[in-house]
Amino acid sequence: MRTRSWSSKPNGWDALVVLAVIALALGSALAVWGGGGESGEALTAVVIIDGKEADRFSPADLLEGPRTYSNGSYTLEAAYGLRGAESAPLDHEPPSGEAGVRVAWADCPTQDCVRTGLITRSGQSIVCLPGRIIIRLEGGAPDGGIVDAVVG
Amino acid sequence: MRLTTKQLTLCAVLTALALALSYLENLFPLALAIPIPGVKLGLANIVTVFALYALGAFQALMILFARCLLGGMFAGNMNALLFSLLGGAAAMLAMIGLVRLGRCSVYGVSIGGAAAHNCGQIAAAVLTLGSTAPLYYLPVLLAVSLAAGALTGLAAACLFQALDHTNLRIS
Amino acid sequence: MRRFISITLALNLLLSLTACFGPPVDPDTVQESIQVIAMDTAMLISTYGKRSTAAAYASEDLIRDLEAQLSRTEEDSEVSRLNAADGRPTEVGPDLAALLTAAEEYRADTGGAFDITVAPVVSAWGFTEDSFRVPAQAELETLLEKVDGSAVRVERTAGGCTAALAPGQSADLGGIAKGYAADKLADLFREYEIPRAIATLGGNVLAWGDRPDGTAWRVGVQDPARPDEQNGFVGILNLKNSFAVTSGGYQRYFEEDGRTYHHIIDPATGYPADSDLTSVTVVAEVLPPDAEQLYGPGTMCDALSTALFVMGREQALNFWTSRKNAFDLVLVTKDGEIYVTGGIAEDFVFDEESGYAYPVLVK
Repeated sequence: MRTRSWSSKPNGWDALVVLAVIALALGSALAVWGGGGESGEALTAVVIIDGKEADRFSPADLLEGPRTYSNGSYTLEAAYGLRGAESAPLDHEPPSGEAGVRVAWADCPTQDCVRTGLITRSGQSIVCLPGRIIIRLEGGAPDGGIVDAVVG
Repeated sequence: MRLTTKQLTLCAVLTALALALSYLENLFPLALAIPIPGVKLGLANIVTVFALYALGAFQALMILFARCLLGGMFAGNMNALLFSLLGGAAAMLAMIGLVRLGRCSVYGVSIGGAAAHNCGQIAAAVLTLGSTAPLYYLPVLLAVSLAAGALTGLAAACLFQALDHTNLRIS
Repeated sequence: MRRFISITLALNLLLSLTACFGPPVDPDTVQESIQVIAMDTAMLISTYGKRSTAAAYASEDLIRDLEAQLSRTEEDSEVSRLNAADGRPTEVGPDLAALLTAAEEYRADTGGAFDITVAPVVSAWGFTEDSFRVPAQAELETLLEKVDGSAVRVERTAGGCTAALAPGQSADLGGIAKGYAADKLADLFREYEIPRAIATLGGNVLAWGDRPDGTAWRVGVQDPARPDEQNGFVGILNLKNSFAVTSGGYQRYFEEDGRTYHHIIDPATGYPADSDLTSVTVVAEVLPPDAEQLYGPGTMCDALSTALFVMGREQALNFWTSRKNAFDLVLVTKDGEIYVTGGIAEDFVFDEESGYAYPVLVK
């Protein structure tokens, strides 16, 4: 029977393989997650322009300053917001101090994105129709919201 | 290449074992964390690692293909076949390379194989969905493959040690 | 060697046994969500189950395909070619043929309150291009002469279908296309054996199956008085295997000289419908597959929500009474009343803090 010599004692070459896999994981993480770092559980805002992910950041990143996104002839500005000032009806336990994202300013005629207001929970999104820009929250606590969908 | 009856029997037994292992890994709720159809831990790689050392590349490859084909037929899912074939083939290539290099222990070989296995499966997902969205899971899967590969390596090492006391020696 | 084989065989047997008794991963909890901007609206589709990812991507393809056929702004779409043909028959695909047939059915049913040929009037108000203005009465009268959905012809020929408008007419399927898309999504979910899904197509909701916890999907009905509040509801509908569509003047409007003009144009007057309603929600159950049927309840809900808004409260409720079993309604009036029809009385959970009077149950 043809056999190969084997060793069950980990050595430096194994460490090299492990390092290569880690490097590959980090490299691909940088490539596909746009350098946003490993979000895992943390609430992350994802910006999708024309169906493609354009940016990914934590709401807290906006404390350093708002971010601007443009597509076609439309531009909007995403800014940091903190829930607490406005109280949502039906929401019997108004969450205080929840960080989130809102569109502070946009040059579209409809202003729907601005009117959407602050989003703070995973699954919520702000949509700019004319500019085909979506800001969507992922990770973090799921939207413990009262509904799964809205008509109207 | 002609196989002796003994080799053929061993191949068949190992194929059966690999199939059982791929069923076993369905018990691990990896699909919950990573919702890509067909993505698995790659436990059946234990058999591939063992076969590669004990029987050589050719027979290890035969066992791999038999396992993928039979597994696909049992699952009644040709999508799953593509996933396991691409994953298995990538793992095999990586491990043959590492074994030929002759420097790594079984741990290095199986970690390299597990990482390649996941890369192959993501490639299959990208192909079947026609979307690059599955790439998003690659970093997570690679991280998982470190642990899974080490586990597979440990299992293979235990197996080799146990077999040292039988007449099927690998040295 | 013998010993090795017996060890492996024993191990093998053991593993097969555990494979049989171990708790399998519940594939119904695997979920995929996609967001699509199409048909002038934002769509969110969440599918569950083993094939959730494939179904979600197939849903996006389906919607993009429909949009390419039905867009009024893309010159090469089937609808644009139909509109540009100035009365001559043009070839149309099965989707547009089905939609035109559906549009005529609901136009006739509602006495013209829903009419796809009102498109030029809607454009005159600027709702197509977001360049709002109040058209002159004379301009509206000229445009109204061409509004008549009964003039639309659909012919089934050996090679496919042809359709023709009357000369000078143009059609916009925006008031029915999303409902039709919801119908097609239901077919797709069935084909992919999706156990549960929730799809929001800009005000059109398809609640497929139930929630992962086995309860009904909770669909909020937006309070027309608080259109911008994320949790501003008049109540919540608990739905399984149902379509729900809401129409209301609050969804799109503009103000000029202190007056508000909304986007639901009454085909009879050419003006924004002078309705005593602020929103109409139409709910209907998903029907079992039927190869004969070109369109389904989703299409109906979409068309009727617009038509019943134009009709106003009294006519809308009469219309429901004459067709009770086909659909149900939640009506919100300008006076702050809510009307809920019998079939969904138990599925509608009124929000007492909304400031509305307790819902009136219509039987």
